[in-house]
Amino acid sequence: MPKTHYNPRPERVSQKKILKNRLFFAMGFVLFLFFILIFRMSYLQWVNYDLYKSMAEGNRISTEVIPPTRGRIYDRNGILLAGNQPVFVLEFDKRRVKNIEQTQVDLAKLLPNLPLSTTERFFNQLKRYYNARPLTLPINLTEEQAAIFSVQSHQFPGVTLAANLKRIYPFKSNLAHALGYVGKINSQEMVTLDRDRYRGTKIIGRTGIERQYEDLLHGHPGFQEIETNVRGRIVRTLRTTPSTPGQNIRLTIDIHLQAYIESLLGDRKASVVVMKPQTGEVLALVSNPTFDLNSFIGGISQKEFNKLLNHPYKPLINRATNGQYPPASTVKAFMSLASLENSVITEEETIFDPGYFMFKGHRFRNWNRAGHGIVNMKAAIAQSCDTYYYKLGLDMGINMIHDYLYPFGFGRITGIDLPTEKAGILPSREWKQEARGEAWLKGETIITAIGQGFFLATPIQLAKSVSILANRGKIIRPHLLKNKIIEDQGHIPIKQHSHWENVIQAKVEAMHGRRGTGRNYTRDINFQIAGKTGTAQVFSLHGEEYDAESIKKALRNHSLFTGFTPVKNPEVAISIVIENADIRAVSVAVDILEFYLNKISHPSVTGENNAY
Amino acid sequence: MLINLTGSKEVYRKNKGFWRVLHLDAWIIFSVLLLIIASSVLIYSASGGSEILLQNHLIRAGIAFILMIFFAQIPPSYLKIIAPWIFILGIIMLISVLIFGDTGKGAQRWLDLGFFSFQPSELMKLALPMMIAWLFSHEHLPPSGKKMLLGLFLVGLTSALIIIQPDLGTSILIAMSGLFVIFFAGLSWKWIISAIALIIASTPIIWHFYMFDYQKQRVLTFLDPESDPLGSGYHIIQSKIAIGSGGIDGKGFMGSTQAHLDFLPESTTDFIFSVLAEEFGLIGVILLLSLYSFIIARGLYIASKAQENFTRLLSASLIMTMFVYVFVNIGMVSGILPVVGLPLPLISYGGSALLTLMISFGILMSIHTHKKTLSQ
Repeated sequence: MPKTHYNPRPERVSQKKILKNRLFFAMGFVLFLFFILIFRMSYLQWVNYDLYKSMAEGNRISTEVIPPTRGRIYDRNGILLAGNQPVFVLEFDKRRVKNIEQTQVDLAKLLPNLPLSTTERFFNQLKRYYNARPLTLPINLTEEQAAIFSVQSHQFPGVTLAANLKRIYPFKSNLAHALGYVGKINSQEMVTLDRDRYRGTKIIGRTGIERQYEDLLHGHPGFQEIETNVRGRIVRTLRTTPSTPGQNIRLTIDIHLQAYIESLLGDRKASVVVMKPQTGEVLALVSNPTFDLNSFIGGISQKEFNKLLNHPYKPLINRATNGQYPPASTVKAFMSLASLENSVITEEETIFDPGYFMFKGHRFRNWNRAGHGIVNMKAAIAQSCDTYYYKLGLDMGINMIHDYLYPFGFGRITGIDLPTEKAGILPSREWKQEARGEAWLKGETIITAIGQGFFLATPIQLAKSVSILANRGKIIRPHLLKNKIIEDQGHIPIKQHSHWENVIQAKVEAMHGRRGTGRNYTRDINFQIAGKTGTAQVFSLHGEEYDAESIKKALRNHSLFTGFTPVKNPEVAISIVIENADIRAVSVAVDILEFYLNKISHPSVTGENNAY
Repeated sequence: MLINLTGSKEVYRKNKGFWRVLHLDAWIIFSVLLLIIASSVLIYSASGGSEILLQNHLIRAGIAFILMIFFAQIPPSYLKIIAPWIFILGIIMLISVLIFGDTGKGAQRWLDLGFFSFQPSELMKLALPMMIAWLFSHEHLPPSGKKMLLGLFLVGLTSALIIIQPDLGTSILIAMSGLFVIFFAGLSWKWIISAIALIIASTPIIWHFYMFDYQKQRVLTFLDPESDPLGSGYHIIQSKIAIGSGGIDGKGFMGSTQAHLDFLPESTTDFIFSVLAEEFGLIGVILLLSLYSFIIARGLYIASKAQENFTRLLSASLIMTMFVYVFVNIGMVSGILPVVGLPLPLISYGGSALLTLMISFGILMSIHTHKKTLSQ
């Protein structure tokens, strides 16, 4: 039974009657609203007809976007690294094309190399196309084809040759990681991008410099007001606000040096950073193996992309900034400085190295099982005596090591102008407590002193730290954009200058001395290098897994090198990591430095003048 | 007036035997065919003479027509039995869409069933009115207060699930289809007027707390389209130019410069009415509205002749929902309502909405032709 308050009338109205009433009301409502619509239409179409008619005719003026030309990227010597190549396409104005079949036949005769299936599909589409805007044949013509067509274009009324721009990387796979590539703007980016600035633009920087300096490279779009006739053809251009092309930018990279290094490395997994120590200008940023940037332009196929992504050598990772390796013996110079400046030890103090170091019953081995006998600081660096540093590390303690090495840039990003960078790990009590929830062990201090254990650094960090050493304490920030304004990075506090000079001299000894670890590679060169070799006893990129086939090769140690030259007024600093090395990093380094001094830094001067 | 539009009893009687055996209604078949012809003409013209588009449209219309005839064969008593189950299924699907749905065009409306994608909100356009009509079908009308509240709750639940997809337009439309059932069931005017007053009063609150920016933007541009002539107001201005420049007798078939020069957005879908108004003028507009009025009148007539509450309420709600489509779409393109993406029933190019509408016509014809002979 219905409750009475739903039926205010005292007498019960039959349900059929309620429904009938409601249906009549509904029909009345429908007609009422339809009359409103007709009233509205009469207002638009009858009362204001003249106004809208003139507006429709005035609708000949439309605004078209002129997308900006993307800025080019050059190396430090003005050699083009990323540019824009015009690609030619054919546009068909259906209303002016007289005979479509004939046009198709003539075009096939003129340009026999056009893919048949695509043209066939296109002409079928054109036959059923009635829009006033021209339709574009989706084939990029070669310059030759474009030239042939432009000569014969009078035979093709309604068909015009138009030029679009395509990103091109003339050096293909050189500098691929640092340079980065552009890609089509995806729907997610559409949401976050500045709509006005990206109107008419299809591509955006995806990785590397292309992404880092997107804001500079992109530019601002322009607008063109076009008057068309009633049939939609352009009569004239009324007003043009030209687009502002993106800025051309110059990098600190020397592409010849970069290409030379990449050719030296072959298909090895390796990374090399070459830098100007005083300024932090990066001359070469190599991550090997690499890939052809141009394959990403115009859309890479999923298959090709997966091949790169799943390749066991991980070619897409920028090892120079994102590969984290134990710095190994390359940190010994910093350990020496730390202990000297903190008065833990003096240059003259010696220890006896029997080939191992005993701590709490545990034997920490030297790389040379025979031991180095009695060694002082200089000999310890030159011969890379592990035993010496085991003891030194224990004497300093982890806090002192951490606090002294931190300003050199370990354990934090260097701030290089690239979108991604790993921070590495400079272990400390706090770090271990936070990351592992465990207390620090003294044995871990011992292996930290030779750059093993938890200690991880990226090649760019290694280059930065050795540059600071080369600068005798002046801190720099690595960067890739030439003329980038970089605020003063400060200075490592110095207690005694002789400590620095002695450590540097020890590094020279390591390269040129009678028992130096790098002596075999410097015999034929006529300049001096302050350098330090290193061998990391880890398998590969941190945390990576291997399949059975590659395990043997993968078990090889990484070979490292950091150094600089000339010793007095350093011009160039270098860091190298070769994963699972079959050649020593030091030998590659000597080749690179020789190439740099003879071919790049002083190309006109003969080699003798560089001798020290 | 109503008699004139819907009566024509002689014609009906003459063909009664033939049409009843087929479970079809001559007037509805006739009007639907007229609308499909009109829509084919307009789609061809709006697309600048695209034969592919026309071909696709005719194939879809053909499939929809067959589905309509198929649904006309299903006796309403079957629909009544399955109504609650279809509704539960629909609710489950709406929830699945929220969890697993494809985010096509920024909203999670599609459910990918492996072999085809499906929009559960489309099913709900039929399932919700069926459910509410079923709910009220077991007793005398008007239903008890409890049932009314339960009905309102189901309407609220369904539209809430669609509104968070987010799809405001469809959500309002589906809510309307349920509310129409409640209205025809005899909800007292006192409550209706109070509810409308409440909605108007709460508008500022909804604006501040429950609307997305893009929805606010649409309303703002609706209130003042000239404020953003190159952005979202552009659509409305260009649509008004198209309609106004059509004048009384229009520019003729294929004469829509607004559509052909790409000034008119979505000219084959949401804004197809503007093409009609531009090419066929006020005369074309009045003819189309007359045709719609006729179908609506016929639908309401079928409701008045239906034999039980379930079929009465369902048929009245289905036809009124179609009316809402028509009014909102034309109101939108002529600038008296804000832009909500709703197609013009049976005219706009597009698949799923056409199917749902044709199925509702099938149901209407089924209701009209499956009657107990006792009452004859």
